[in-house]
Amino acid sequence: MHIPDGFLAANTWIPAWILSIGGLGFCIKKAQEALKEKLIPLMGVVAAFIFAAQMLNFPVAGATSGHLLGGVLAVVLLGPYGGAIVIAIVLVIQCLVFQDGGVTTLGANIFNMSIIGSMGGYYLYNVIRKRIDGDRGILIGTAIAAWLSVVAASAFCAVELAISGTSPLHIALPAMALVHMLIGIGEAIISVLVVSFVLKTRSDLIYNKEEL
Amino acid sequence: MEHLFIDQYSGLDSIIHRLDPRTKIVTLIIFVIFIVLTPPTYFLQFLLYFVVIGGLILLSKVPFIFVFRRVLAVMPFVIVIGLFIPFIKEGEIAGAYSLGNIKLNVTYSGLIIFWNICIKAFLTVMCLTLLTSTTSFPFFLKGLEKLWVPGIFIMVLSFMYRYLFVSIDELMRMKHAKDSRTIKPKRLFEIKTLANMLGSLFIRSYERGESVYLAMCSRGFNGSIKTLDNSSFGYKDAIFSVGLTSILVLIRLTGIL
Repeated sequence: MHIPDGFLAANTWIPAWILSIGGLGFCIKKAQEALKEKLIPLMGVVAAFIFAAQMLNFPVAGATSGHLLGGVLAVVLLGPYGGAIVIAIVLVIQCLVFQDGGVTTLGANIFNMSIIGSMGGYYLYNVIRKRIDGDRGILIGTAIAAWLSVVAASAFCAVELAISGTSPLHIALPAMALVHMLIGIGEAIISVLVVSFVLKTRSDLIYNKEEL
Repeated sequence: MEHLFIDQYSGLDSIIHRLDPRTKIVTLIIFVIFIVLTPPTYFLQFLLYFVVIGGLILLSKVPFIFVFRRVLAVMPFVIVIGLFIPFIKEGEIAGAYSLGNIKLNVTYSGLIIFWNICIKAFLTVMCLTLLTSTTSFPFFLKGLEKLWVPGIFIMVLSFMYRYLFVSIDELMRMKHAKDSRTIKPKRLFEIKTLANMLGSLFIRSYERGESVYLAMCSRGFNGSIKTLDNSSFGYKDAIFSVGLTSILVLIRLTGIL
């Protein structure tokens, strides 16, 4: 889902950059209010965790394997703002160090995966966990939000490709969405298992758990 | 354990390696923007860009095979998104094929879009690979910091860089321990064990973040990090940035004339 350079036209990547800079600025301001200067070491170390977690391959159907993307996992543990910052940091490193996603398209990638995928995923998760009591609400919320965040990010990616004139929406959208509906199942299973482990061992680390 | 993946070849010594990180970041990003904004049918310009970037890679002594491997890494995306474009775009038909009952029409406009994304993805990855394999990561961050990237972002990035290797080592140690104790595990068991590993890695990371923070507080941390600064913008940097930018402008002009 990391869009390389050249796939988006200037009419798409420039607005996407503006949107994601604005979104991230908002996240940093909000996260700093809550965490103060503790934010810096904590975000850095957790970003390193997400990065390492993405290197671990899980067996999926057949001989294929997938890995965690971690967008919703990050917001369940760190909250909407901290989680979005961590995912954006991981995307920046992937772009600059591994050429996974381009420089001009980095804004669009941050918008899709960090702002829509993570922060958007948090609000969905939050609505669900407030409806269902106890730990079950957290787990069900994580599962649905994790699945939908992957699908929504891929749908936004398809829309951006269509606005740029790279591929028409009626082809790109179903193709991207279908592939990511399958990827999303793996993402949901892994996220739920990790969250349930944290719930059992240090449930105080789940963001805003005392609020329930 | 040893990790060489993050800024491999940045320890080499060449004219490009010795440039100030700011010079490389700004000029190579300008290069990327030039490539992205070039209309797809200006074939000569893409060839010239390729010659320029190839020359720079030659100067930097970074092996071509390494750059080529990085370029190949964007291929999955090109295949998923790009490969069907020539067949579905409407326009003048360049060739028609039939596979059994399915008729495939390849159109010129579709082929041009496909060429456009392939060549641009290919050339820009070459630019960025040159940038990251000639600049060590701490210097790279220093450069970004002096280019007015917000300090908070730089600090989080440098923390991440420092703890990345610790996290990966820890994860690999857990994986080795698990692999040496399980022979042909059932799939569900495998997934569950891996997820528990991630869970405990998260808890350790979080606790490490807190204790690092406390350690920093006890040493007088107040929200900003001060480091020694020994990079400077010299005449070589000026020649490189002005020279490369004017070459790019000249290449661009060949299309207009």
